[in-house]
Amino acid sequence: MASTNIGKVTQVIGSTLDAQFQEDQMPAIYNALKTELTRTIEGEVFTETLWCEVAQHLGGGRVRAVSLGSTDGLARGASIVDTGAPVSVPVGEETLGRVFNMVGETIDDRGPIEVKGRMPIHRMAPELKDISPKTELFETGIKVVDLLCPLVRGGKAGLFGGAGVGKTVIIQELIARLARFHSGYSCFAGVGERTREGNDLWLEMQDAKIGDTGRSVIDQTVMVFGQMNEPPGARLRVALSALTMAEHFRDETGADTLLFVDNIFRFSQAGSEVSALLGRMPSAVGYQPTLATEMGELQERITSTNRGAVTSIQAIYVPADDYTDPAPATAFAHLDSTVNLERSISEKGIYPAVDPLASSSRVVAPEYVGERHYRVARRVQQILQRNKDLQDIIAILGVDELSEEDRILVARARRIERFLSQAFFVAEQFTGMPGVNVTREDTIRSFEELCDGKWDHLSEQAFMYVGTIEDAARRDEELKQG
Amino acid sequence: MANRRALVKRRKAVTNTRKITRTMQLIATARFQAAMSRATASQPYSAKLAEMIRDLSAVAEETQHPLMQTRDDVDRAALVVLTSNRGLCGSYNANVLRAAMAHIKAEDRSTETHMVGRKGESFFRFQELAMAQVTRDIDDKPRFDQVQPIADALMERFRQGEIASAHIAYTRFYTPGKQKAEIMQLLPLVEKAEPVEGDASEGAKSGYRAEYEFIPSPEELLDQLLPASVRMRLFQCFNDAAVSEQIARMVAMKAATEAAGDMIKNLTREYNRARQTHITMELLDIVGGANALA
Repeated sequence: MASTNIGKVTQVIGSTLDAQFQEDQMPAIYNALKTELTRTIEGEVFTETLWCEVAQHLGGGRVRAVSLGSTDGLARGASIVDTGAPVSVPVGEETLGRVFNMVGETIDDRGPIEVKGRMPIHRMAPELKDISPKTELFETGIKVVDLLCPLVRGGKAGLFGGAGVGKTVIIQELIARLARFHSGYSCFAGVGERTREGNDLWLEMQDAKIGDTGRSVIDQTVMVFGQMNEPPGARLRVALSALTMAEHFRDETGADTLLFVDNIFRFSQAGSEVSALLGRMPSAVGYQPTLATEMGELQERITSTNRGAVTSIQAIYVPADDYTDPAPATAFAHLDSTVNLERSISEKGIYPAVDPLASSSRVVAPEYVGERHYRVARRVQQILQRNKDLQDIIAILGVDELSEEDRILVARARRIERFLSQAFFVAEQFTGMPGVNVTREDTIRSFEELCDGKWDHLSEQAFMYVGTIEDAARRDEELKQG
Repeated sequence: MANRRALVKRRKAVTNTRKITRTMQLIATARFQAAMSRATASQPYSAKLAEMIRDLSAVAEETQHPLMQTRDDVDRAALVVLTSNRGLCGSYNANVLRAAMAHIKAEDRSTETHMVGRKGESFFRFQELAMAQVTRDIDDKPRFDQVQPIADALMERFRQGEIASAHIAYTRFYTPGKQKAEIMQLLPLVEKAEPVEGDASEGAKSGYRAEYEFIPSPEELLDQLLPASVRMRLFQCFNDAAVSEQIARMVAMKAATEAAGDMIKNLTREYNRARQTHITMELLDIVGGANALA
């Protein structure tokens, strides 16, 4: 019945379109519509399938739909078919190692894919009773993250940052560190970011091996891309496609699943691009009035249930470094761990440019990370906060006016700041420094000793891009010898 | 879009700070003038005193006055450290204390410290170093009767053989543009350590030296004059330190006022930008909303 429901395109407005159906056969909201469009490029005629998604009922059998591809070449009067179901994507083990677009077509040039099952990308979030309450630390080997804003296994982490402070590098580093030692599956959603970065990641995952099994990381990974060049409809839904695949792994295999999203902000941005076209009145800063709802619907699905855990790591672009912007602000509340990247820190040449005072995690509490970790983390933050408070005084009166205690504290804070930097595996080719992995135990011990003033005698430079505190001492020796 | 309220508040705070630093600068300038005239006023006296001692020692060459004797048998040394009671004078105290610490470290004898000034006192307390004596009541107008007991006590202890030497760490005043934290030897008395400008060469320059007859004997006179000289030297150090402190404060406060001014400028800029951005955003919202309704 569904496939026979044919309507006509009555209006095309950018990436949205209106279609007329029989009044008693209006396609339901979120139903996928399908149309053929022909495009002539330099005399050659191409025929493409265009997918759309019903967004509004306008009445009288008319529906307004968001196009999930380019509407170039689409004309009024073209026939459009109601598929009777939402967009679905292939799921299951067969999808591993492949790259998809948001409607579930493979785009890695390795031919179409045979799968046992497909799942609609629109689903309900898990129910209250099914949500798993466990809180377990997820060690990354990155000092600043493990110490101040540790990730939670089965939880959500957000990487906030303005343009060019290193969000994508950190997410790729986390993929390199976590996926490599991860026993379950990984899903990567590329939302409205550079296609080149997607390509880099894809190639890198083919090279990288899981532990010492000899298998590539890509063999345990599904990648879904809807990058910058795609129309807003695609960018709006690509996160859902990837999430659906991850949900399947979680629910059917019970395996621990990692979900990486780069970049959630593009999802909100795409929403705002189609919002006005759908006839909604813009809200604060021009965003869609449904910003919080859209974010909530997506984020609430990214969660761990009794059946399995999804650990998600999301990059979130912060427009103009303004954290009060509605898009990043709505994402904040959903996260267990927020890693804020700060431009002033990246300007000092300290990478990862994590702001140690603004970043936080739900689990930095004695009952989760242990008394010692909690105490060290807070002490580090206290020292850095005090240093920040003193900056105005230093700027006006100079460092000589500080009391003896404060002067030592400032020196220590500068060492801590530098010690928070760390060499990355994925940045090896740019920095020329091999990546360093530091265990949480080493991290805590190093910072504890640093706070105790045990290493005040080392030069500040010795703390840059080293692993443990012993490495800093060794570097200091090297620096002294020239 | 930093919080505009926070920016305004911060700018206000910096403006107030600048008011304070500017006032401090003016006060320091006034005090510097007074301190300098005091320091220079005592110079003719110390110059003459030095000349007399030179003349006397020329006659009484053979005599070894107790205050001039090197004592190798004593294992204690004394160091007087001149710091200020108040802060906001840049690196004035830090420099003196650095010189003092270096001296203490280099001295093989165990050093007892006579601290003058609250700033040095708190530094030594923080470093957990012992001080033999602390003087806190000498301000920017040191009086002779405040300095004399310190000098007398040192001389007495030197004579008794309790200390082998006495040094002073202070900021020497050369010109209004140059002051330097230095260590000077007070005891045993040596001629070259004369702190006052130009005086040492005066007699020599003229090439003329009067032949005096001394009554009472030169030795007896030296007994009187040498202690007076030590007192005077110490007093001159105090005066130098007082002038230097005011200069240091003047310079520090001038820099602070300028730094605060720069900061105000930046904050004002930041605030204006935030304000404009905010207005633009509100306008966009209003226009956008109106258009959507139309």
